[in-house]
Order: sequence, then C-alpha cells, then structure tokens
Amino acid sequence: MIKKMLLILLSGFVLACSSDDPAPDNNNGGDGDGNNGGGDTASFDRAALLTNWTDNIIVPAYEDFLPITETLEASVMAFAASPDLAGLDQVRADWLSAYRAFQWVSMFEIGPAEDARYRVRLNTYPADKATIDEFRAASSYNLELPSTIDAQGFPAMDYLLYGLADNDTDILAFYTTDANAANNLNYLVDLASIIKTLTTEVRDNWVAEFAASFKANTDASATGSIDKFTNDFIFYYEKALRAGKFGIPAGVFSTDPLPENVEGFYNKEISKELALEALQATQNFFNGNGQSGGNGNGFKSYLDFLNTIKNGEDLSTLINDQFDLARLAINALDDNFVNQIQTNNTAMLEAYDELQRNVILIKVDMLQALSIDVDFVDTDGD
Amino acid sequence: MKHFPKLLLATAVVFASCSNDDDNTTPMTDDDQGMDPMIEAPLTYNFERNGETTVSFSGQTTRILMAEELVDDFKDFDNATEAAMLAKYTHEEGQDNFENADLNASDKNIRSKTAASRDYFSANATEATAIKDQFEQYINVQITEVFPNELVAAAPGVAGQIADGSSTRYVTGQGLEMDQAFTKGLMGALMADQMLNNYLGEAVLDEGDNRANNDEGVLAEGKNYTTMEHKWDEAYGYLFGTSQNLANPLPTVGDDDSFLNKYLGRVEGDADFAGIAQEIYDAFKLGRAAIVGGDYDLRDEQADIIQQKVSEIIAIRAVYYLQQGKNGIEAEDFGAAFHDISEGWGFIYSLRFTRNPSTDDTYFTRAEVDGILEALLADGANGLWDVTPATLDTLSEQIAAKFSFTVAQAGSTD
Repeated sequence: MIKKMLLILLSGFVLACSSDDPAPDNNNGGDGDGNNGGGDTASFDRAALLTNWTDNIIVPAYEDFLPITETLEASVMAFAASPDLAGLDQVRADWLSAYRAFQWVSMFEIGPAEDARYRVRLNTYPADKATIDEFRAASSYNLELPSTIDAQGFPAMDYLLYGLADNDTDILAFYTTDANAANNLNYLVDLASIIKTLTTEVRDNWVAEFAASFKANTDASATGSIDKFTNDFIFYYEKALRAGKFGIPAGVFSTDPLPENVEGFYNKEISKELALEALQATQNFFNGNGQSGGNGNGFKSYLDFLNTIKNGEDLSTLINDQFDLARLAINALDDNFVNQIQTNNTAMLEAYDELQRNVILIKVDMLQALSIDVDFVDTDGD
Repeated sequence: MKHFPKLLLATAVVFASCSNDDDNTTPMTDDDQGMDPMIEAPLTYNFERNGETTVSFSGQTTRILMAEELVDDFKDFDNATEAAMLAKYTHEEGQDNFENADLNASDKNIRSKTAASRDYFSANATEATAIKDQFEQYINVQITEVFPNELVAAAPGVAGQIADGSSTRYVTGQGLEMDQAFTKGLMGALMADQMLNNYLGEAVLDEGDNRANNDEGVLAEGKNYTTMEHKWDEAYGYLFGTSQNLANPLPTVGDDDSFLNKYLGRVEGDADFAGIAQEIYDAFKLGRAAIVGGDYDLRDEQADIIQQKVSEIIAIRAVYYLQQGKNGIEAEDFGAAFHDISEGWGFIYSLRFTRNPSTDDTYFTRAEVDGILEALLADGANGLWDVTPATLDTLSEQIAAKFSFTVAQAGSTD
C-alpha cells in the first residue's frame, strides 16, 4: 500500500514537471525514465482494436440494452392501462434495470448516439421538476427541443416514479384519482418510449452503416476513429462520471455542495450503485472488454504493446490500480449520495479525488503515449 | 509645499511579500535628495495618502454590475421585456431597474459610457450614436425575434433554440446569439473604450490643470486623490473593478466578471500568452506609481503597454472563437459553432475600440469591422448556417495580421 501511495505521489511529480519536457524519448525500453514507450503507434494493429471495440463491445452493448428498454416501455404501457401498486413496482424495477444497463452504453457518445444527442436526452440530471409539472399538466410539449433535456430520460422518470409524493399510495394517486391522471400516464409512457426509440435508432444506425465506417477509419489522426472515440471516452469519464456523479453534487465546482444533483435523487437508494456500474463499464472498456464480450484488445493492450512505462511501472497497471482505488473509495460511501454528502462530504470528495487521479493518468500520460490530442476544451460556462 | 510631491511618494505603499497579507506594509522610502527619485511599483495596487487609500473606481464597478444584470435578461424568457432591458441600459438615478438596490440608487448608466471615450468619440457623435443604438438593436432583436421562438427548433432562416452539447443556445434566423453579440461587444464599446481611449489617453489624464495639480498635490474636491490619480484608477476599475481582492486581483483573474476580466483570464490560460495578466497588472501599478512620483513619461509608457495588451485580448479571442467556430462547422455541430462565432462576433465588434499605441488610433476602423461582420454572414442567404471554414480562416488571418500572434497561437487554448 505504501509502495502504491509512493508511486502515485511520484507520478504526480513527473506530471508536474513534464509539461515543458523536450520531445518524448522514443527509444526507452523500460528503464522508467520516459513517459513514452518504445513502440510505434503505426505498427499496432489498429483495425483489430476497432473491430473488438465495435463488434464485441459497443454493438453488443446496444443489443443488450435495447430489449431492456422495450421491457420498460411495455411495463409502463401496462401500468398506464391499469395503474395499481403492483404495476408501479414493476415499472420501478424495470426502470432500475434499464438505468443500470444504460451505464454500459452511456460512454459511447459517437456517431449515431452523438447525432441523437443520446446521453443528454437519456440522462441529464437534476430533472427540472417545474418544467415536468408544467408539461404533464398541459399535456403539450416537444421533447425534441434541446431545452427539454432535463424534462425527459431516466431522471425525469425518477421524479415521476418516486418524487411526486412522500409515499407510494399518494404517488399512485397521481396516476389513478388525480384530475390529471391521464396526462401523467401519457407523459410517463412518452418518456419510456423515447428511451426505447432513441436506443433503437442508435443501435440500428450502428448496425446498418456506422460500424463499418468506424472500423475502417484506422487513421492515426485527429479524424481517425481511435482518436475521436478516445476523446469521447475521456470526455465521458471526466464530465459524466467524475464530475456528474461525484464532483458536481459534492460541490467541487460550486460554493456549496449540491446534493439535489445526485443521480437517482428521488429513488434515494441507487446513486452509488449506478456510479459503480459506470466505473466498471469504463474500466472494462479500458481493458478491451464489455459487460460480457470482448477479447481484451483495447487501451491496455495498446499501451502494453507500446511498452508504456511510468516510473518503472506499466502505465496500464497504474491506471487499473487507480480504477481499483476509486472503486474502493466509492464502496465506502452510502448507497444514497445525498446522505453521504449531508453527513460526510469529505468521503465524497475523496472518491472524487481518486477518480481525478485517473483523469491525469489517462488524459495526460495515456494520450501522450498514444499520440492523441485532446479535441475538447472546457467550456466558458456561458 | 515644494516638497509635497516627495511626501506623496513616501506614502506610496509597498507590500513586503508576495503573500496576500494585507497588513504587512512597508512605506516606500525617499532616501536621497536627488532630482530623479527612482519610481517603483508597489506589489499590489494599493496607494495611500495620509494613511487613507487614494484608490477609487466605484463607478466602474457599478457599470460592470449593471451590465451583468442586463446580459442575464437576454435568456430570462419568462420575465424580461424590451422596456425593462432598455431601462437597465439607460438607467436613471432612483429608478427601480435592477435587483441590486445599490445599482438603482446610482446615477450611472451603461449607455452614457458606451462608445463615449474622449479620444475616439468626442468629435464623432454620428458613429457613437450608431454604436449606442446597436446595443439597443440587439435587445430589440432578442425580444421581438428570438423570444417568440423560445420553443421552436432553430433552422436556416428560423430563429429558435439549438443544442450545443448539453447547453441550449437561442439564435436568430441567421444563427446569431444576441446575448453573445451584446456581451462581447459591450466589452469593447464600454470597458475597453473607456479604459484605453478615455482614461489612459493624455487628453483625459492631462486635462486642464491635472498635471499641475498632481505635481502640487492638489486634491479633487472632497477627495483624497488627485484627478489624474483617479482617472488612472478608473481605467483599472474596468478590468479589476469586481475582483475579489481589488488590490491584488490576479489570483482570481478570469472569475470576476463576464467581460474583460473573464477574457484576460482566458488568454492568460493559453500557454502562448501566459504572463499577459501580470504584464497588464504591473503596468497599472507602475503607471499609478509614476503619477504619484510625477513621472509622466513613465506613466505613458505603462499606458502604452496596457493599450497594446488589452487590444490583444480582444483580437486573440476574436480569432479564437472564429477558429473554434470553424471546428464546429466542419463537424456539422451547428449549435457549438453558432455559439462560438456569436462570441467571436462580439469580439470583432470590439476591435473598433482597440488602440495601437504607436499610432494612438484603432487597429480596426469602422469600415474594417463592418466588413468582417458582413463577410461572416455573406456566404449564403442564411448567415452562419452557410458560413464556410474558408471564410472563417480568411477573417482570422485578417485579424491576426495586425498583431504579432498567429492564428494557430490564438486558435487553441494551449
């Protein structure tokens, strides 16, 4: 453990001093002096990596996810046809299964998903309660408008399934005896249908055409598939996982913590579970695997091929160790991040810090080894 | 009375360390009888006379805060009206136009100092009026064209909303965001123009008896500063007037307003230009110390540095946003591209208010600025929906050509 801590400290030191290093040393064989390995990015079998990503990880992830969204839509429709407590429970169970499974596709925001604005439409939180209330009351809305992303997706369903009242009887009443019950049910059905429809669209477009062009674009340039997707992967890890699930609610980017911004706010039991799923999904992907499939051809094998060493240790090992440390820190948290933030936000911040350490290893060291430039910048916030 | 300037010099305060320890002050000593005392800048922007500060720029702070409230209204679809926004722009003392009561009580407003510098506009009322009206026009378009289409998806020729990542942007039928045009344009027309072409110009600094009064230590009526000192401070206030630490503003530079401070921070964050914030700050301090010491050549050298560097902030960001917009257009990410180009639009508008210290005139004439803005919309019938990467590159080169930076240096954040 002490050795590991030392390594982390040392790697931080190298980073701090590396920004004005001369050009990376390309012939070090593993003596630990340089950040870059001895391999040549061009001779690595990039086509095989893209094939594994596409055929064994990404497309299967959508294939796995799609029937789960169909199940959710079906149970919502059944509930709408005859709303009762058992139906509500079924919808909730299917919603949770789908929300969990979504964590395995959320990171693939490229091509068809990017075109559909898939991630923001399925998982922008916190949900905008006031707008949702307005929409379902008026029964008039256009959920394709960019301004409505926080009135749809899993977070909006979270509110409709858990947040309308304090207890299940009263929540059910919104769908049975409430004067607006029919509109409320319609809204719930629309939300589930959008999740399914968008997932169908993304899956179909991958299968029909995008998979082929994605695999074929093996260029080692900013427009090549590996460069582009690597950026998307890092963007996801940094913004959606690290910041969205931890940093923002813990108050890293604001004056005070924002516990209402946790994922699964109304359910109150799943923010940790969803975060752990997402972490596992990103670590698996790093190692060239999906939830089940995958042949190990991925960032790890690429780094190992290049023999990327940092302070005498394989960079891929350092990154996997850091994923594990992050998981350890997250496991120590309350199932409900709201409780965690309100009782001991320091532990939340510590989990954030562990995640942040991998931003440095991946975004700086890994990208340097793979000769990939970052193609996104932090927005101005305006 | 003859020795009064030396006494003044003796009271200029120096901070002894680079920490934020405000109490740790050491008076600058005037240790010789020489005729040319060495003038040194204090470590922070802190100047005193008789134990009291001589620094004052509350009017600038007020105008920045007024502008902040006004630009927020551009997206307040539920509450903002054209009349209320214009009332903020042309505020009159005592009118209840702002949320902040201090602003309501103020006799300042935005419009009166927009395109109102002595050097550029005192004999150019025609252009000044057109510029003031331009900002009213931005408000009018937002309210009459964009607001009614709040819940419409933007399309070529159709105002409405468009996604930029997880943000929603609201654009005109030409793809322009009025709030960006207003905010970034005001940065030039109000903040930069007042700073570079009014308060740092000799016409204002040396107006009337300012030099004689400053030499003799004659204070402005009822104040603890000479008029010249105050003019210099007012220039400083348009950059640092809302800083968390007004005397030592660099630790939070970029976070303290939506205008020049913010974009000084952004440019500072680009490795190609790192150090610019310190250069500007140092020039403000040394120039102010020079006024205290009566060295007007040294003062004007510092004014030149500030004029040069603040002009560069505007030009660098104009090029940056055109280049970011080009990336967005190439990726067919119109929402991101329109947002960037709209920011760029405001910075280009602001180029009119830059100042080349070697000519004491603008880097870009009205005609040049208008030409660039027209070219941005001229690639097709629907403005930014049709703009090409080639046009964005050409205009970027046209702007960068007047400065010593390259398009590549300005075009990215590293």
